[in-house]
Amino acid sequence: MRIRSFFWVLAAGITLSGCVEKEIIDDVNIEMGVGYDFVEDDKIEGTVMIPIFNPDKKIGNFTYSATAASSRDLIQEVQRKSAQPLVTGSLEIALFGEGIAKKGIREFTDAFERDASIGARVYFAVADESAKSILSGTYGNRGNAVHLSQLIKHNMETRNLPITNMHLYLFDLYQEGKDPYLPILKKVEPEIIDIVGIALFKDDKLKSELPPDKMFFFKLLTDKFSEGAYKLDVGKEKVVIKDLDSKHKIKLTKRDPYNITVEIKIKGLIREYTGHIVTPEIIKKIEKEFEEQVNKEASAMIKDFQEQGIDPVGFGQFIKSKTRGFDFKRWEDEYKNLTVNVKTDMIITEVGIVE
Amino acid sequence: MRQLFKKKLMQDIEKEAARQDTEGQKPEQYLNEHEWEKALLKSHDFKRTFYVNQKTEKKFCFSFISTLVDESILQNNALPYLLEGELTEIVDVKSLIPIADVQVSDHNEDIETKLFNGYVLLTLEGEEKYFAFIAAQKEVVRNVAQPEVEFSVIGPKESFVESLDHNLNMIRKRVPVKELIIENYTVGSLSKSGVAILYIDGITNKDNVNTVVQRVKDIEFDEITDSSYIVQLISDNQNSPFPQLLDTERPDRIAAILAEGKVAILVDGSPHALIGPTTLVEFFGSFEDYFLNYLLSSFFRLVRLFAVAFSILITPIYVAALSYHYELIPKDLLSTLITSRREIPLPPILEALFLELTIELLREAGARLPTKVGQTIGIVGGIVIGTASVEAGLTSNVLLIIVALAALASFTTPVYRMGNTIRLLRFPFLFFAELWGMLGIVVSFSFLLAHLLKLTSLGRPFLEPLYPPRITDFKDAIIRLPFTMQYNRPQYLRTENPVRFSEKKAKQKKDIDE
Repeated sequence: MRIRSFFWVLAAGITLSGCVEKEIIDDVNIEMGVGYDFVEDDKIEGTVMIPIFNPDKKIGNFTYSATAASSRDLIQEVQRKSAQPLVTGSLEIALFGEGIAKKGIREFTDAFERDASIGARVYFAVADESAKSILSGTYGNRGNAVHLSQLIKHNMETRNLPITNMHLYLFDLYQEGKDPYLPILKKVEPEIIDIVGIALFKDDKLKSELPPDKMFFFKLLTDKFSEGAYKLDVGKEKVVIKDLDSKHKIKLTKRDPYNITVEIKIKGLIREYTGHIVTPEIIKKIEKEFEEQVNKEASAMIKDFQEQGIDPVGFGQFIKSKTRGFDFKRWEDEYKNLTVNVKTDMIITEVGIVE
Repeated sequence: MRQLFKKKLMQDIEKEAARQDTEGQKPEQYLNEHEWEKALLKSHDFKRTFYVNQKTEKKFCFSFISTLVDESILQNNALPYLLEGELTEIVDVKSLIPIADVQVSDHNEDIETKLFNGYVLLTLEGEEKYFAFIAAQKEVVRNVAQPEVEFSVIGPKESFVESLDHNLNMIRKRVPVKELIIENYTVGSLSKSGVAILYIDGITNKDNVNTVVQRVKDIEFDEITDSSYIVQLISDNQNSPFPQLLDTERPDRIAAILAEGKVAILVDGSPHALIGPTTLVEFFGSFEDYFLNYLLSSFFRLVRLFAVAFSILITPIYVAALSYHYELIPKDLLSTLITSRREIPLPPILEALFLELTIELLREAGARLPTKVGQTIGIVGGIVIGTASVEAGLTSNVLLIIVALAALASFTTPVYRMGNTIRLLRFPFLFFAELWGMLGIVVSFSFLLAHLLKLTSLGRPFLEPLYPPRITDFKDAIIRLPFTMQYNRPQYLRTENPVRFSEKKAKQKKDIDE
């Protein structure tokens, strides 16, 4: 009996192994970056970037491009040009050209969410101008895909870019009462890519863009800082505040019409100050100035969102979670009349070792 | 050729018989012809000498196997007294000669065994029925050497030898209590090996002892040359690659496990003693662990356990990841792996098998050759073959490192038998990794786990304390807690006295300062 069952397992092992698709690491083209652009005649140009691993340990890049009417045809077109099968499991970044983003990117993200081999932490970004031009350059020495993903990652972790990736994008997309947002990448020099703002979406369509200097306030509202930095003008002096640590809390203060308070708590230390000595009075002054500025900018930003009808902060979702029988049809109008108060509490914990 | 040889042998035997007849006169009346004598007379080391007592003029005869007998004992301690003393009856022998072990007997059936145990048979003219055995064994024993397999820097440096008596002596000295019981059995129709079963009365579970005794008694085999035979013959599952009895060459370890309530089995002619019941985790604990502080030994045990897992799994994981799961590989590692594999014409499985087999060959060659040549093989194999195969583009250097590390890790197991098992286990894992990728590794691991769960050692669960879970037994399993916390014997042994020492009393004894 035992011998028979053993042979069954062996037989199953040998016969079923034909059902598994073998993808030997050096016999496949590993797609690490992908970009979609809109070209004339309603056609889409897809660009697939694969790394080339050279014997001297340098990583080169190679891109395949193809034009087709739909994203499904694109795969066929690109596979035809590739000498080895293209596999998607190690995808690092997906770029959407501005034209495509304005028309809606659901068609493309759908393919990503269905593919089980693609991880949920793939970065999505909108390409200012074209995705192809970004993917076909050469940046850094670790390959384009790694360079771009690290660029986005470090800006999210330590700078003013709010955290987004495929998982969070899809969460925001399918969450009622919240709209997704993605970073915008731009090729500023042949070898340098810059983050030039945040793309704000209405559903899956690009609605407007947020300039880089507003990103700090946007992140305060949507995300939390653990290691940010901000430059502030206090009278004649300039202050750089580092190691920013922020939290925000949304509170529903009144219904009919809805009234919301956003409480932002910020902690930070002074890194640079153009004046001489930082006295407690000056600290108080800086804190006050900072709070006012945050309140002003954040309120203006929210007002702007309300006018455009987009809700990246997720007020709708928040109110829904607090309200029985919430109606999203009415919310469209109610959002326009929503009153949002921003309250900021700033604490400076350290002023540096110079007294 | 064979015919010729046989013929010559027959001639020799006839010649020898003729010589015996002429030299030792005709066999006297008092010598009863037995079957054993006829057979023995064919061997040239069977000696029979005749003497006459000077006082009573009685004839007496020594029969013995000269290769087993120390003849100087006969010459110095027996013969002068027997020639000059007053020897009238066979009982007089006892009082005449200064040898402690002299037995007078009338059991004819004992004669053969006694002769082969190095006794000298004394027969006397006029005594038809009785005869005497004089102990004159020749002991050829090598010196007690340092343990080689289980060497420890700290701790006792003696190891077992091939003589059962010497080995028992070393154990008795360490456990000088009357409760230490040594049962002796003879196993093997040809080898007649003495097998000693040791346990401490009042501690060891009688079921365990009885299991061992019964299994040892039931052994049907002709030539037992080593305790390894016994392990294989009395194992619970003889088809398992896992050793189910721990073997050791350290008398101190035997003393320690006897105190824990285990049973020890010693075989005459084998410098390795067996310990049972045992568990899987015990194979990863070196005896030196007990000589070190518990923090250190716990750490080393964890390192060893990690090394074993690493040794079994790392090559299969490499094959699985490179053949099926490129997406598992971190992006920074991707370039290293692909660059190292770009010139390799072989798929990962062949590459891995090639290197694994190379390592196995080296190991086998190194084990078979004399030490000095073996070292050369190590260097040739390690450096030349490794580097050359990478340069020739047969294997990737990443895999070379992985396989070498896996081989190194498999040597960390303190018990040699377990190291061999680990060597073997890697190959089914590799096979399934190639067939099904990670799923294959999981499948083979499930098989391994199921097998281990079923395995028993003398009827006690082999995977204890992991399963069945026995929290208290973790005190001396994957980690080792301090001795003050080892106040209970392991649960799975079901000892008759589960308490090693009183926890309370141990805590009461404090320094005066405190």
